[in-house]
Amino acid sequence: MSRVEKKAPSVCTDLPLNNAEARRHELRESLAIKVNKHCLSLCTSYLQRDDCACRVKIDFSSSQNLMTLAGSIISSKPACLLTEAEKLHISTMAVRAFLQTIPCSSPGPVTLGQTVTVTVRGLPVLDSAMFPGLLVETHDDFNQTDSSSELLRTVLFSTSLAGDLAELGDGTIEADPNLDTDLQILDQLLELGKQLVEDEVRLCVCQKVIHPVLQQYLRSHGVVVMERLGMALMEPLGTLAGTQPVATLHARIPSTAYGRVKNLSTKQFGFKTMLHLQADGEAAVCTAVLCHRNETMLDELKVVWRKTEDVLRLTLKEPSALLGGGCTETHLSAYVKHKGQQEASETAAGLRCSPAEFLLGVKVFCRSLDMVARSLEHDGGSSAMDLNHAHHWTVSANASEEDMAGGLGLCGCGLVENSSTEWTFLNTEYAEFCPAPLLGDSCRKPTVLDSFTAKVNALQVAVETANLALDVRYVIKDVN
Amino acid sequence: MPPSERLPLEQVLEIVSALEAVVLRSFGPEGGQVLFTRDTGQAMLSRSGTCILSALHLEHPLARVVVESVWKHSRGTGDGSKTFILLLASLLRGISKATSRGPSASHAYGFTEAAKAAAAPYFANKLLELVSSDLDDLIAVNVVPYGFCVSLEDFTTHSGRLLLASFFHTRVSHVHCSYLSELTCEMLNRWKYKSDLPYISFQFLSDNFPALHTPVSGFPVSSSRLIEGQVIHRDFATPCLPSKQQPVKVVVFTDYMQPILLSTGDVLKLGYGGGVTPESSIVHFSAWTERSLESVIAELQSLGVSLLLSAVKQSDAAVALATQAHMSLVECVSEEELSLFVQLSGVTPVSRGCTIQLEHVAALSFCRPILLGGHRYVQVAFCESPKSSKVNPCSLVICGPGEGQTDQYICAIRDAVCMLMTTWEPKHTSETTASRGTLQSDKGTASLDMTPTFQSTANKPYGLKKCVFEPGCVIPAGGTFEFLLSRALPNPSSDTNGLPSVSQLLANALLSVPRQIYSHSPKLFLQAQTRIMSLVQNPSNPFSLGLKESTPGPMVDLGLESVTCKYQLILAVVQCATSVLRVDTVLHTRTALHTQSKKHTIFSRASTEDEAED
Repeated sequence: MSRVEKKAPSVCTDLPLNNAEARRHELRESLAIKVNKHCLSLCTSYLQRDDCACRVKIDFSSSQNLMTLAGSIISSKPACLLTEAEKLHISTMAVRAFLQTIPCSSPGPVTLGQTVTVTVRGLPVLDSAMFPGLLVETHDDFNQTDSSSELLRTVLFSTSLAGDLAELGDGTIEADPNLDTDLQILDQLLELGKQLVEDEVRLCVCQKVIHPVLQQYLRSHGVVVMERLGMALMEPLGTLAGTQPVATLHARIPSTAYGRVKNLSTKQFGFKTMLHLQADGEAAVCTAVLCHRNETMLDELKVVWRKTEDVLRLTLKEPSALLGGGCTETHLSAYVKHKGQQEASETAAGLRCSPAEFLLGVKVFCRSLDMVARSLEHDGGSSAMDLNHAHHWTVSANASEEDMAGGLGLCGCGLVENSSTEWTFLNTEYAEFCPAPLLGDSCRKPTVLDSFTAKVNALQVAVETANLALDVRYVIKDVN
Repeated sequence: MPPSERLPLEQVLEIVSALEAVVLRSFGPEGGQVLFTRDTGQAMLSRSGTCILSALHLEHPLARVVVESVWKHSRGTGDGSKTFILLLASLLRGISKATSRGPSASHAYGFTEAAKAAAAPYFANKLLELVSSDLDDLIAVNVVPYGFCVSLEDFTTHSGRLLLASFFHTRVSHVHCSYLSELTCEMLNRWKYKSDLPYISFQFLSDNFPALHTPVSGFPVSSSRLIEGQVIHRDFATPCLPSKQQPVKVVVFTDYMQPILLSTGDVLKLGYGGGVTPESSIVHFSAWTERSLESVIAELQSLGVSLLLSAVKQSDAAVALATQAHMSLVECVSEEELSLFVQLSGVTPVSRGCTIQLEHVAALSFCRPILLGGHRYVQVAFCESPKSSKVNPCSLVICGPGEGQTDQYICAIRDAVCMLMTTWEPKHTSETTASRGTLQSDKGTASLDMTPTFQSTANKPYGLKKCVFEPGCVIPAGGTFEFLLSRALPNPSSDTNGLPSVSQLLANALLSVPRQIYSHSPKLFLQAQTRIMSLVQNPSNPFSLGLKESTPGPMVDLGLESVTCKYQLILAVVQCATSVLRVDTVLHTRTALHTQSKKHTIFSRASTEDEAED
C-alpha cells in the first residue's frame, strides 16, 4: 500500500529549497545529500526505539487510540464537509468495521474479512450504518413475505445462465431449419432449474445474466433469484454463504456446492432497495452503507473510508501511531538538532566535511521538518514549540506576549498542557536542547494521531525525492 | 534531384560535441542526474547515458547513427555509454586538429577542403587497423599485469563488491550505491551455480531478468530486498488459497483445460440429413466439453495437485471446478515467467490434448500470496531437488520513490549483470564476441565494410595470438586503464606525411577520460598520472598486490572496472568514428528521412521495453 501522505510533498519541496538557500552558504549538493540521508537515518532509528517520545503504542483491548487514529484521518480530508458529530459517527463505524473483519476464533494465520461499501446519495451522513453480512442492491420486486429467519439453501453461479454457450468457441454453428438450437439450450437450462427446485434451493445468485424463462420458472417455485451480481461481490458472497460458485450446466450440482444464507430481508435506503443477506454463524463479511448529501462529497467520503480502512489495517502489522498535529515533526526536529550537535565532529569526519558544514546541513533538514508543522496553520496564526518537550503549538494571530505567558492551552496532539513557559517560534533560531519525554502516565490521551507506517514511509520517500532533485545537474526542455 | 550536402569534419564534430555536452553532466563520480521535461508535463530523470541519449530528439541523421552505436554497445556490455561519447568526441577533435594543422607540415595534402576531407577517412582507416590488430596485445602486455583477476569465490569479498559499487557510482545517486551493490552481490551469490562457470549464472540472470524482478514505486530504496523463490506477477483466479500441506504439487498448462470445440472459422452443422436425435443437439457438444474438463480435473485430483499455473485465461467452468476441487489457479502467467518456472522446477508443461502424467507434476515448498506495492502476486518457492539444489532461487524487489526512479534502479542492476557477463566471458569465446561486437556496431552505420577487422587479424605479424583476457580481469578505476594504455601506445613522433600518428591521436583521446573524471580539480589529475607512471617505472611495487590483500590503498578508493568492457568500448568507439568519418554525403529525401526518424524512434522504444531480446 503505497501511500505518501500529504506531508511528503512539503518536506520534498522544502528540502531542496532550503538546500538551495544553504548553497549560498557554500554547502555542496553532494554533501547536502549525504547529510540529509544521515538525518533521515537518525529519525528512523529514533522512531523505532522503545523510548521514542512521539510514538504511541496501540492497545487493541481499548478502542480509544483506534478511534483517535480514524478520527485524525477523517478530519484531514476537509472536502467531506463533515460536522464533529458526523466525524465521530464515521470514525466509530470505521473502527467497528475494522474490528468485525478480524476473525475471533481461529488459531494460526488469520485471513481478514472484507468490508463492502455501498454508497447512497441524498441521505444525511448520520444515516450511514454498518451491517453484518451483505447488502445487495436489487431492482426486482421482492416479496416481503419471503423474508424469514430460517436458513436458505443458496447456489452461486459464476457463468452465464442465458444460454449463450460461449465455451464452444468462436466458430459458427449452422443448424437445420427444423432444429431450434435455442429451444434445446433452454430445455437444458430448465433441466438445471428443475434440479435446483428438487434440491430445495431457496436463493439462486448469478454473477452474469439468467435467462428470463429460467428466472420465471424459479420464481414460480418460490426461489429468490438475483442476477448480474458482478465480479466484485462474488468473493464476499461466497465467504458469506460458505460455498464456491458453480459454472457447469450439464453435470449434476454436487450437494457440497450449496451454501446457506440466513435472515433474508429488504432494506430501503433512499431510492435504493437492498437485499440483506446474513451469514449462518460467524463470517467476517460486513457492509458499510455510506450516505452523504451530494455525489462529490460522497466520493470524497468513500476515499476517506478506504484510507481509514487501510490505515487501521496497517496497525495490525505495526501496532503504533505517531503524535499528530505537527508534534512529531517538531519533536523530531529538536531531536535531530540535538543529536547532530552532540556528534557533529565524528559524523563530519565520516562524511568528510567540516563540522560547521555538517551542522548547516542538519539545520536545513530540521527547518524542513518545522515547515511541515508550520504548514498546518492556515488561519494566519504562527507556530511555536515549547523548549521542554518540543511539541507544536499554534498561536493565533492576535495573541500578545502576555497571552503566551499565560499559556497556550493544549499542544497540537493534545498530550501536553501548558507545561512549559519557554517558547520559540518555529521560524526562529533557538539553542539546541534535548526534548524531554513526557513523565509518567499522564492521564491525557492524544487527540490527534497519525499512522506510523504511512508517516515513516512518507518521510523516507520525501527525503529520497529531495535528494534526487538535488542531484539534477542539467535540465533539458523538450519543446515539440 | 534532391539537394545534397557535403559533410565537413567540423560539422560531425559539432554534432558529437553537442551530445558530449549533454552526457558530461552525469559522467564520472561527481556526475548527477539529467532532467528532461516535455511540453506535456512529463518529466524524466536519468543518469544512464543510453537513457539520456535515446530521450533526445535528434534531427541530424549522423547524430542518430552515433546514438544507435552507443545503444548497441551498451546493450552488449552494459557499461560505458557516457565514456563512449566522450572518447568519440575527443577522437574526432584530435583528427580535426590534425587535418587542419596538416598543411603547415605536409606537402602531400594541400590546403584545400578536399584534402581535409580525404585526410579524415585516412585517419579513420588507420585507427581501425591499429585497434583491430594490436589493441588486444597492447592491453594484455601493458595493462592487464597491473590489474588482477577476481574469481567468483572472491565475489562476496571486497573486490567483487568494489567492482559493482564503482559501476553503480556511475549510474545512480551516491547514497544508494552501497545498498544496491550489496543487494546485487547477495543476488549473485544465491544464484551461483556451484559447479559451473560464473559466466553461465550471469547469462542465466541476464536472460531471465524480466521475470526475476518486481518494481514497486512509492517506497524508499532501502525497502528493496530479495525474496525467496519466484514471484509470478498475477493474482489467484480462485478465491481459496492453496492448502498448507507440503509439498505443494503444481501443474503448468499452456492451453485451455476445457477443449475448445470450434476455433474461429470452423463450422458446426447440426441436424442436416438425420432426424432430431440426441446427437444432433447442440447441448450434446457443450456437455462433451464439460465432461472432458471434468475428467482433467479428476486426473489432477488423483495426482494430488493443488496449484495450477496457466498461460491463458481458462473458462468459467474450469475456474469453478478447480475451486470446488480445492485447487488454486493462476491464469495469464506471462511466457517469460512460465519459462523460468519450468526451468527452475524442471516440470514439463501440459499442452493441448496430452494426458497428465507424473512428469507434469512439480513440487513446491510453498506457494502463497504476496502483497507488493498494492498488488497481490503469487510467490512460489522450489523444493530441494537435484536440479535446483545448486542454486538458491530468489527474486528481486526493487523500490523507488517514483516509477521513473524504480526503472532507473532496475536498468542499473540489469546492466550491472550484463557488465559482469562481459567481464567473465570465457576465454575461448572472446574472439567470436569481439567480432560479434563489430557486427553489431556496424549494423547501425550507413555503409561500412567489415573486412578490415578480419583482414588485419589475418595480417597479424605474430601469428594467431587472440585477444586473451582472463575471465574476471579488472583494473583500478579512476583512469588507470587510460593512463596505462595511452602510455603503451607506440609513439613515433609523426609519420611520413608529417601528420601525427594515429596511436598518438588515440592516446590523447584516451587521456581525455581521466581528465574529465578529475575535471573538478586538475591537480588530482596530475597526481593520479604521476602515481601510475611511477608505478610503471618501478614495477617492484605494483598496486595490484595491495588490492589483493584488500588493504584499501589510495587507488582502491576509486573502485574497479572491467578490462574487457574497456577493450570493447575502444573497439566500438573507433568503429563508430570510422563509420561517421566515411560518410561523404547526406541525401535529404523527404520521405526517406521521415521514415528513418520514425523507424529510429520506434526501434529505440521497442528496445527499451523488450529486454529479453539479444
